[in-house]
Amino acid sequence: MSDWTIIFRSMTARLFSTVTTIITVAVAVALLLVLLTMRGAAEKSFQRGSGDMHLLVSADDSSLVSILNGVFYANPPRRPIPWAKYQELSRSFPFAYAVPTQQGDSYAGLPVMATSREFFTAFKPNPGEPWQLADGEFFDAPYEVVVGSAAAAASGLKVGDTLFLTHGIQQSRQLGSADAMAPHQHTEFTYTVVGVLEPTGGSHDRALFTDLTSSWVIHAHDRRKREDPAVIATTEADLIDADRLITGIYLRLITRPGSDAPANLPQVFDRLRRDPTITVAQPAQEIDSLFKIVDPINRLFVAIAVVVVISSGIAIMLALYNSMEQRRRQIATLRVMGASRGRIFGLVLTESAILGIAGAAAGVLFSLIGAVVAAGVLKTQLGLVIEPGADPRTLVVVVIGTVALAAVAGLIPSVMAYQTSVAKNLRPLG
Amino acid sequence: MSDTTKPPPALKLQDLRFRYRSGDAAWTIDIPSFTIAAGEEVLPAGEQVLLTGGSGRGKSTLLFLIAGLMTPTSGRVLVAGQDIHAIDGAKRDQFRGRSIGMIFQTFNLLHGFTAAENVMAALMLGGTPQKQHRAEAIKLLESLELPHPDRRVEELSVGQQQRVAVARALACNPALVLADEPTASLDPENAARAIELIQTACRKRNAALLCVSHDPAMAERFDRRESLDAISARAAATAA
Repeated sequence: MSDWTIIFRSMTARLFSTVTTIITVAVAVALLLVLLTMRGAAEKSFQRGSGDMHLLVSADDSSLVSILNGVFYANPPRRPIPWAKYQELSRSFPFAYAVPTQQGDSYAGLPVMATSREFFTAFKPNPGEPWQLADGEFFDAPYEVVVGSAAAAASGLKVGDTLFLTHGIQQSRQLGSADAMAPHQHTEFTYTVVGVLEPTGGSHDRALFTDLTSSWVIHAHDRRKREDPAVIATTEADLIDADRLITGIYLRLITRPGSDAPANLPQVFDRLRRDPTITVAQPAQEIDSLFKIVDPINRLFVAIAVVVVISSGIAIMLALYNSMEQRRRQIATLRVMGASRGRIFGLVLTESAILGIAGAAAGVLFSLIGAVVAAGVLKTQLGLVIEPGADPRTLVVVVIGTVALAAVAGLIPSVMAYQTSVAKNLRPLG
Repeated sequence: MSDTTKPPPALKLQDLRFRYRSGDAAWTIDIPSFTIAAGEEVLPAGEQVLLTGGSGRGKSTLLFLIAGLMTPTSGRVLVAGQDIHAIDGAKRDQFRGRSIGMIFQTFNLLHGFTAAENVMAALMLGGTPQKQHRAEAIKLLESLELPHPDRRVEELSVGQQQRVAVARALACNPALVLADEPTASLDPENAARAIELIQTACRKRNAALLCVSHDPAMAERFDRRESLDAISARAAATAA
């Protein structure tokens, strides 16, 4: 027999109250942890998406929109950049790479990015971590497709599969489906999956990648069909300058070995910004701006979650406070048997802390489940790929904070227990 | 005859006075002298005293004063030679747990605990080493013929609960057992059985017994009977 037995028996004697109090704490802790975890994970995901590029050039209206569209596939960029402009820009400075990208097509609701092979060989989706193939190879010819990991999981595409692309973001189907001839689908051009990528944890995981030439050809075909409905086939030879359009350029400046910060970045940025036909954005800066915009809302959510946790502390206090009326006789009996006032105080305070520990532990478990669910929702609804793993430091701080709060919540019931009068509570009846 | 030194009395009250409010004219408790002999190692067993008194005369108050749970206005309470009110705080509580057993009218068992755990709690709070708790509790309950030590006390009959209450009071081999109206809620037959159980158990464990009751049927079971009214009257006469 130890004090723990007395505490355990006291908790199990009021099992319903104990369990509901623990659940109240657990839900509050889980809510707080999910918000904190998702906040950190979303920030990480945004930082990952831009990979090792220093600048993004587009024809979008603003730098932030340019990043959201060009890196995170929020919407297809509205205005194109002529190929001649790309060639001019890429020669204007000695860039480490200048990768052209074009968005606007989709497959089964998943964005398709047309680009050059440099996208895989030069651009790194995470600084220092090049692309890895889970299967197959990078595209090397027109009408070949490489599928991001999340896109492959969502669509079921694998190496060797064939597909049609859709102009815009309308749903499209795999070759052979009954709906294969639906409007806006480029059904004249069959693409073949040649590679599936390993996950990067960034936004590109949910995209498909193909080469620029085939993308230009299928759009040139649309143009030619509008001009002459009798046109049956279009090839690279039919391309004119107006067909050769892109929507973005991923730029990386040359850096010294071991450094990621090019000395001439401000100078290049400033020079490019003077060109009124393009928008130039620094991804790191824009992501910071984005988080500055959403941070007050984030903080508000976290503040609400903290208030919910504090409310759960009040729930602990109420549960123990309400139990005091029933427990006074038992406390008086323990005093008669030799328990000091201090020991009684400690028993109730420990019980309160245990409710906090159990609630925090269950809350951590709930939060892990909640974060996985929330990550799934963010991926399907917003295309934001996040890792739901909680930051250990956040976990420790929240758990310790909850236990401390529970102990504070137990102070009033503990003082009541301390002050329990033996004589008043053990007088004979009648 | 044993040559060992005679132990101090199980209970000795000296000029014990108590009143709830300082303005009250009369003392609730006024006992110039009162002693209960302790049990000796072999024989005689501890003295057993019945203290009677009308309702509201302060019988329970006296027991709480003796147990160190209320503080007297003046005077001394010596339990096994130790002035209980001279000990402070947690040490007094542990002394009570070790030296005094209490039995109540409603038993006041720890609900949600098994019979054995009720006794083990008393052993723990009295300072008995943890590894001895279970063995001693089972032994004591067996000696009181309780067949189900691991049943929760709520599942036991009234008679069995009474045995657990007696076992708990005697768990730490106290010098003195205080019984507060132990038979008040029982019918005469069960009351006789209950007091027999308490007296026999105290004799076996060499504990002195002070039983307070206003049940006249109890009188014949005690060789020494005291009336709180008579003690107070003697005190008043002495003062006059």
